[in-house]
Amino acid sequence: MTAVTFDVDKLAAEYNDKTPSDILALAIEHFENLSISFSGAEDVVLIDMAVQIKPDINVFSLDTGRLHPETYQFIERVRNHYNIQIDLMSPDQKQLEKFVQDKGLYSFYQDGHQECCGIRKVMPLRRALSTLDAWITGQRQDQSPDTRQGIPVMQKDNAFSSADRTLIKFNPLAGWTSQQVWQYIRENDVPFNELHSKGFASIGCEPCTRAVLPNQHEREGRWWWEEATKKECGLHVDNIKK
Amino acid sequence: MHITMVKKIMKDGSPCRKCADVLTQLQENKLLDKIDQIVIADERDPDSEGMILARQHKVELAPFFVVEEEGQAAEIYTIYFKFVKEVLSEQISEQEEIKEIMQQNPDIDFL
Repeated sequence: MTAVTFDVDKLAAEYNDKTPSDILALAIEHFENLSISFSGAEDVVLIDMAVQIKPDINVFSLDTGRLHPETYQFIERVRNHYNIQIDLMSPDQKQLEKFVQDKGLYSFYQDGHQECCGIRKVMPLRRALSTLDAWITGQRQDQSPDTRQGIPVMQKDNAFSSADRTLIKFNPLAGWTSQQVWQYIRENDVPFNELHSKGFASIGCEPCTRAVLPNQHEREGRWWWEEATKKECGLHVDNIKK
Repeated sequence: MHITMVKKIMKDGSPCRKCADVLTQLQENKLLDKIDQIVIADERDPDSEGMILARQHKVELAPFFVVEEEGQAAEIYTIYFKFVKEVLSEQISEQEEIKEIMQQNPDIDFL
């Protein structure tokens, strides 16, 4: 089945309270051409669940070139543990070389992280998604009360769909808390990134990620030198839903 | 083809900056005459035409574009550069597109 015949809004409502495994099963059953986006962190639980449904599930990771050694080691460990292929998407060499020549290796501490993330992460992500009908992320509502609170378990991906291709995005862990994810990891002996044992909650690139203190929100470990930007283009939700 | 642009008036009555930027770009690139209609989503008035369109199409971002063709479901574009590229067939640099995608999807860089 393709995205055209997949009633995503109806199924999102129907699957809102189902388990991540149920959501994964639906995704795998309906889309042959789909892949899990694996960040090298606790979203490994998606792989653990998915291989029980489809042992050769497609997985990709964004290799920004700036990940921690622990994350590279973990990606390799996951590849061996589950005997799966993980496609590593790298930045475009020409764009990256020009960016580094023009701005150096640490411009994000002055200019903000968006330009670097755009080249190292979002462009390779778009390249990976351009070949797919659906993708699966580990995004959860509890990761950011501001921007992830409304994440549905599945949605049309408006950012990466094109005029002639609808891309569906599955977020099977949307309704799970960090506690539920870690309970699953412990109960099922799922391998995890060593950085978590060193106090890292949210894991990204090495220069832009730091450990957090107990009870500090995981987002405080990322781009801590930047102020939270105000969303200026959102339409007030209360009015929209009226 | 009929194109409607929805721009926002904020709760304090001021125009949305992003909407103003997009209008300026449309004007500078001589694309404004390709927009058939511009309607207002007034956050102070849930029954304003733009707010009704936003509800109807489940859109939570402004500005956005509604592209209608006879006999087909309306297409909604919340990303300006994507709209310009796909509907108006104008050339857009990848950097510009990515920048806007990231602005409109603040969680993408957390992947």
